[in-house]
Amino acid sequence: MDKKMILEVKNLKKHFPIKSSLLRKTVGNVKAVDDISFVVHEQETFSLVGESGCGKSTTGRSILRLLEPTSGEIFYNGENILNYSKSSFRKLRKDLQMIFQDPYSSLNPRMTVEQLLMEPLLTHNLASKAEAKQKVIDIMGKVGLTKEQIQRYPHEFSGGQRQRISIARALITNPKFIILDEAVSALDVSIQAQIINLLIELQEEFKLTYLFISHDLNVVKHVSDRVGVMYLGQMVEMTDTDSLFEKPLHPYTQSLISAIPSDDPTVKKERIILKGDVPDPSNPPSGCPFHLRCPKVKEICRMVKPAYEEVEKNHFVACHLYSKEVLKEEDLTLVN
Amino acid sequence: MSNPILEIKDLSIELDDGRQNYNLVRNINLKIEKKQKFGLVGESGSGKSLSSLAIMNLLPDPLKIKEGSILLDGNKDLTKLKKKELLNVRGNEISMIFQEPMTALDPLFTIEHQILEVLRFHSKYDKKQMKELAIEMLTKVGISRPAQVLKGYPHQLSGGMRQRIMIAIALICKPKLLIADEPTTALDVTIQAQILELMNELSEDYETSILMITHDLGVIAETCERVAIMYAGEIVEETDVVTLFKNPNHPYTIGLLNSVRSLGDRTKKLYSIPGNVPNPKEHQGPGCRFASRCPNRMSICMIQDPPVHKIGPNHISKCWLNVEGEVAYG
Repeated sequence: MDKKMILEVKNLKKHFPIKSSLLRKTVGNVKAVDDISFVVHEQETFSLVGESGCGKSTTGRSILRLLEPTSGEIFYNGENILNYSKSSFRKLRKDLQMIFQDPYSSLNPRMTVEQLLMEPLLTHNLASKAEAKQKVIDIMGKVGLTKEQIQRYPHEFSGGQRQRISIARALITNPKFIILDEAVSALDVSIQAQIINLLIELQEEFKLTYLFISHDLNVVKHVSDRVGVMYLGQMVEMTDTDSLFEKPLHPYTQSLISAIPSDDPTVKKERIILKGDVPDPSNPPSGCPFHLRCPKVKEICRMVKPAYEEVEKNHFVACHLYSKEVLKEEDLTLVN
Repeated sequence: MSNPILEIKDLSIELDDGRQNYNLVRNINLKIEKKQKFGLVGESGSGKSLSSLAIMNLLPDPLKIKEGSILLDGNKDLTKLKKKELLNVRGNEISMIFQEPMTALDPLFTIEHQILEVLRFHSKYDKKQMKELAIEMLTKVGISRPAQVLKGYPHQLSGGMRQRIMIAIALICKPKLLIADEPTTALDVTIQAQILELMNELSEDYETSILMITHDLGVIAETCERVAIMYAGEIVEETDVVTLFKNPNHPYTIGLLNSVRSLGDRTKKLYSIPGNVPNPKEHQGPGCRFASRCPNRMSICMIQDPPVHKIGPNHISKCWLNVEGEVAYG
């Protein structure tokens, strides 16, 4: 079970300042990511799930330093990449790639497929022009495009084919680690299945490690080895995929999983319907971030933020219900 | 038996701008009964949203209804109504909610203005009564502090709240039919569960039929009684929801269900339908529109369009595999 760690994120924080309109003074912070830690092992798929605004994409972007983190450490192969200078980080970027949700906006409409795919090779000085051309043709075959399509522009392709181009573009530098930010969410069901299969095949062939960011729990269940659940910038639960879906511990995870529509009309699922919306991240509630919507809220949840602890082997939860500290009787009375 | 709330007969929609002419929706037939929740499923470009826009007579130029009729209550043909009569139908007898509640609400007007606008058109209440009704409606859709929300603007609300406002606006005149075009696609799962439950409750209370348009089979299984599957502008299969999930007939339906169902089992490869969703230019020729992606393709499929076969009580499918069955239409 002791697999090699490829990425370790420690106490990562990303706060966006809110400026006043008059003097541009910082009047507050949106704590988009607030103190999260996790590790990703070599050749596994680690997923981050959560609702919109929970900070999962910010986490992904912070790892590639597309957003400079406020504080924390990110180790890639044992080295803290936040200490790298811009130029040495750029050298590392060929190992770390990202695929985005919307293949319509992430590909330059004025470049042909060939130009799009050659660009990363030439930027990183990985090949001469002639070699690059051959590599482009090879990679197109790998992702299921034909070499006749090489001179076409992105608008001539369908959504699924465009996502194949994005995947080829990320793969062409021979990366080890790929962040997939909602990479299949914009696709139709029948196309989504094709792309998921392709991603799994490529992972095996090129020994890739994926950080898979998604809100779609069905897809996450299919692709992941381990899953982290985020809520309001914090990690609330993290464990391997099977335990998460069979035995979710955190009340938020439980309600998320119960909210997945079932595909059998004869079975009526027991639903945990949450009250209200995700709170405003610039003004998060005191205590546990989830206590305003939690069906199992206790007195203590309003005051004290629960610690993020390993309650079972490889199963981390931030919830007072599983806290190892001995709690007073009155703290645990159910409030309503 | 009473008349169906909505009956679409042989509806075809085409794009005709003088230079090009494409058929986008072909020979759609469907019936929605009173209090029924009807699901229309399809991938992008299948024509499901176009069909719903045609019901409201909202097709943008150069799209036109080529032929067919859309009967409301068995007597009013929506395709032939005058503009003034249509205004009376929209929002009053049929209303619609959209995928993106932010773009459907006007950012420049208060929530109160936008809710009362419907009542000003369709009711004879005075202002005080209208406001009372608006507050009552907002309470019904689960908005706490309705009086305050009425004074606010759309941007002050979250996505789930905005969709609740849209539902309130749509249902305030107690319409006979609510068309919901991907109402929960832009929302998070926990909010989606809230909104679907709300729609279910309200349609019971108000005896409103629902036409649910979505690409998500899970949403259909949760909410609908009858389902039609659309592919490339045609209805390829229609039946009740249990039969659809237990005993699907059309290869496209089977493929869709398989690709959803094999999710979660990591030991197996995910089932996928090969090829791409065709664009309208590609499927104008003869033959079945699904033939190029179909695993059960026969030679006849490439040359002749299959008729719609009746394969069970209340179950139709447009596929040559059912050639023994009785032809329903087409």
